[in-house]
Amino acid sequence: MVTKGDSNWKQLYLLGLNNLQTTNLIVTNLEDLIKKIKSNQSLSQEAEEYLYSISKKTTFPKGITIIRQGQNVDKIYFVTEGCLRSYCVDKNGKEHTLQFAIKNWWMSDYIAIHNHEPATLTVETLKESNVIEFDAKKLNNIYTLFPEYETFQRHSLERHVVSLHKRILNQLQLTASERYNLFLEQYPKIDQYTRNYHIASYLGITQESLSRIRVETAKK
Amino acid sequence: MKALQITQYGDFKDSLAINEVSKPTIKATDVLIEVRATSINPIDKILVLGYLKDMLPIPFPSIAGYDVSGVVVEKGAEVTNFEIGDLVYSRVPGDQMGTIAEYVSVNSEAVSKKPGNISFEEAASIPLVGLTAVQSLESVGIKENDKVLIHAGSGGVGSFAIQYAKSKGAYVYTTTSTNNVAWVKALGADRVIDYKTEDYKTIVKDADIVFDTLGDIYTTDAFKTIKEGGKVVSIIGALDEETARNFGMTEYKLPEELSNGIKDKNASYKYIFMNPNGAQLSLIKNLIEDEKIKPIIDKVYPFSESIEAYTHLASGRAKGKIVIKIN
Repeated sequence: MVTKGDSNWKQLYLLGLNNLQTTNLIVTNLEDLIKKIKSNQSLSQEAEEYLYSISKKTTFPKGITIIRQGQNVDKIYFVTEGCLRSYCVDKNGKEHTLQFAIKNWWMSDYIAIHNHEPATLTVETLKESNVIEFDAKKLNNIYTLFPEYETFQRHSLERHVVSLHKRILNQLQLTASERYNLFLEQYPKIDQYTRNYHIASYLGITQESLSRIRVETAKK
Repeated sequence: MKALQITQYGDFKDSLAINEVSKPTIKATDVLIEVRATSINPIDKILVLGYLKDMLPIPFPSIAGYDVSGVVVEKGAEVTNFEIGDLVYSRVPGDQMGTIAEYVSVNSEAVSKKPGNISFEEAASIPLVGLTAVQSLESVGIKENDKVLIHAGSGGVGSFAIQYAKSKGAYVYTTTSTNNVAWVKALGADRVIDYKTEDYKTIVKDADIVFDTLGDIYTTDAFKTIKEGGKVVSIIGALDEETARNFGMTEYKLPEELSNGIKDKNASYKYIFMNPNGAQLSLIKNLIEDEKIKPIIDKVYPFSESIEAYTHLASGRAKGKIVIKIN
């Protein structure tokens, strides 16, 4: 259990993160992604071909919206290079960052896809980003068509749940400064292409607090 | 839809009314904004009172208001820079006045995405004052280490201008009354002059730039506070000759007291008419997202109390902006 004041909290947390990586393989295209999947399980030729048929490599320029709050969502993205940000706009018009997706992260609005409802989130590119874009409905069909894929998906989901639980626990029990330092380890150099308010709203702190933490961190 | 209409020139209570009107239609270059918030400015007040009826006559009834924040719900065929669902803010062009309403149609060139880190109410407080301050200070080439005198630091334009000048690295003098000294100082002004107890003319002697937001004697006296070769920029004083010529006033001469000031100090004088400008609002968006500039709101009124908001504006006591929440 990670607790505040536990000298090992950081190592434990990072161990959780490392578990998110099944291999060190760098994925730049679908072929690599399939290799990554096959490093843990077998995948039939037909399943591979199906994956090719429902996906395409796409490059998005910086600063564009690829999923828009309130609209339909029919794509799931795997990031091979770049950075996406998902956020929710509250009723007053302020943004709250849910996730940054860098290399090897999946990104979509799973609430919308699962519940068949309009997007709760907006997803934008913070820099030019290369992604593998999957048709969400067809990716869902893969479990019926090729049950072997389910193992990969279950592992992915477990890792995703680990990541979300870590994020919630961090929010509940770590100080803002500890959360910021973990964030930087998780997303190295991310501040080169994010605005302060992206990070502040991810950490759930004000921009003033973030500036103060940065000054304190720099002094250490 | 509901809208606040100006029905005649005169007192607010007799001349303003919330009425049911038809939803605006859009042209090919427009976006239709579902209004979340709007804010009012001195021009809204003097427009209703009829002080601008020769220069800027309005047909009755007209929907009031120039500043807006909200959500794009429709877009014209030629609009490429916005999508349905975008959260935006704007100072709408004069001929599209009508932001104190549930919907307003706006030329997309005057629109920008709103800053993501502030609310609709805060965003609605920005466009007119932000564009006025930025266009004024940029017209005189504000730069690092310039000494700038900004009059009425607690006003909507003044409070924005102080923050903008500081973001450019300038040294800022500003004037305000005793009650406002502390919070105007907190905006970053280097020397806050309490006009009730101090004479700014004895304190400011070497300004590179004076930003005149008060007019009358303050425009003339600006030349006493600038250094040799300094610049005066005004949003309320006399027109400068170039601006007057652009308006077709070929015979116009600058008032003598101003031309004397220019001659004495080898100075320049500019009058600024704010232009709606979406691209500039995008730059302001970045400054706000980086917290170089914070919106300053005095009070938020519900739509149903719009006339009270005008009365508050007319009192001249507002610290920052008066906002009306529409939806």
